[in-house]
Amino acid sequence: MSGKTLSNKARTTMWSVIFVYALTVAVNLGEFWPFSIYPMFSQAGNPWSRSVVREVPPGDTLSWDTTALADIPGQPYGVRSGGVDPIDLANFVSKTKEWDQDRVEALQLMLLADPPKDPLRLMVYRVRARLTETDSVAITATPYVLVGTDLAPDESHLNPELR
Amino acid sequence: MTTKASFFGNVWENLFDFGRPDSRGQRIFRRVFEAFIGAGSIWLAWYWGEYTLRISDIVLELGFARYIDISFMHGNQLPIWNAWAITALVVLGFLRIDRWVPFGRWAYMLATLLLMLQYAARFVLGEIPHSSNLVGMGIMGFALAELIFRDRTEGGRFAIGFSYFFIGLGYTSAALSKLVARGLTWPDGRHLWLWVNEKAVDEMARSGSVELNFVQQLAVDHWWIATAFLAFGLLTEACAWLVWFRKPRYLVMWGVMALHMGIWVTMDILFALSVYEILLLGLPWAAFIDRLFPEKTSLS
Repeated sequence: MSGKTLSNKARTTMWSVIFVYALTVAVNLGEFWPFSIYPMFSQAGNPWSRSVVREVPPGDTLSWDTTALADIPGQPYGVRSGGVDPIDLANFVSKTKEWDQDRVEALQLMLLADPPKDPLRLMVYRVRARLTETDSVAITATPYVLVGTDLAPDESHLNPELR
Repeated sequence: MTTKASFFGNVWENLFDFGRPDSRGQRIFRRVFEAFIGAGSIWLAWYWGEYTLRISDIVLELGFARYIDISFMHGNQLPIWNAWAITALVVLGFLRIDRWVPFGRWAYMLATLLLMLQYAARFVLGEIPHSSNLVGMGIMGFALAELIFRDRTEGGRFAIGFSYFFIGLGYTSAALSKLVARGLTWPDGRHLWLWVNEKAVDEMARSGSVELNFVQQLAVDHWWIATAFLAFGLLTEACAWLVWFRKPRYLVMWGVMALHMGIWVTMDILFALSVYEILLLGLPWAAFIDRLFPEKTSLS
């Protein structure tokens, strides 16, 4: 096959893919894997939201108040031990608009898919941060939901403001 | 005056190397790159498939999930069967089964479509990752090459040029997204402070504890250092389209590699598959192989 024919084929294919690429990202909010406009880190300076999990002994008194991240009660708990991606957890918590029984069950399945033998209670916090006027980063944590191997996954273990 | 058509004519000529002499190094490199893209696709299929088993609810639909009810992939073993199917198709594609099976040239394309389905089933919890996009475009490039080019030498050249093109387009698009969203103030070092803290919280969630490393502490302590990091990143992304041209290609690829190393040390995010791919495409491996193992030439 001549070089010109090959070039023509390649050119036609490339323009076709570019057209499909542009069309799919245009009608799918910039994402249609593996096509993307790659918007990561574009929203610089915006407040962000993440999640952390703390292990809570069954007898402890629960507080649903927002606190500074450094002051949250309970023992550190790494979700990696349960095979969970922390960004999945953060998105699950921040992007859930309505908390109902299904959402609590799904969160319990995510965190306790392989439950340990001993009873385990986990408090899931939503962590928020923003730049302050004094050029520092303020970080706060709000308890959202309590899940546990000895708890039924229902709405009674949600922060009252989410019910 | 340079016209738009001649600019892209020049781009295609620089990307695909059609008609240029072939060599042992190029043949080996094409197969190594194809093997990497195939192995990366298989790894993604299994990584995503096994994670999907623990998903029971949908928070955000992406890709195919915006058009079909992807919940049929949840609560059963379908993601694992899909991973097996992708594995088989990629292996069969690599082994050139079209010699024995009708429609065998469709193996990579079917694998690409099934991988898109696997992605749509896995990423329904709100996360929109980009670490797998380069491999996704890579397998799509080989899929198109198999269907469009009868000659495997030219097909392989097309697939590699295809990857270079979408690497350049992707990183440049990332720079444009930042400039559109924040303008020239995007590299303000205080923005990096927010991200460093964000990733510290991610690490706290992942492992239970966190400590800033030396570079992160430096960026948090000195606004101008944080600003310099971000400015370098933005400038590198904005120049990424230059990989379409032979001369600056490797320099730009190493700029992109430095960008990824910077993201790794400041934000603890390693796009491992993308970094391996940049390492493969960022050095003249074919020329190295040709120099180490020259082909014997006969003089007639």
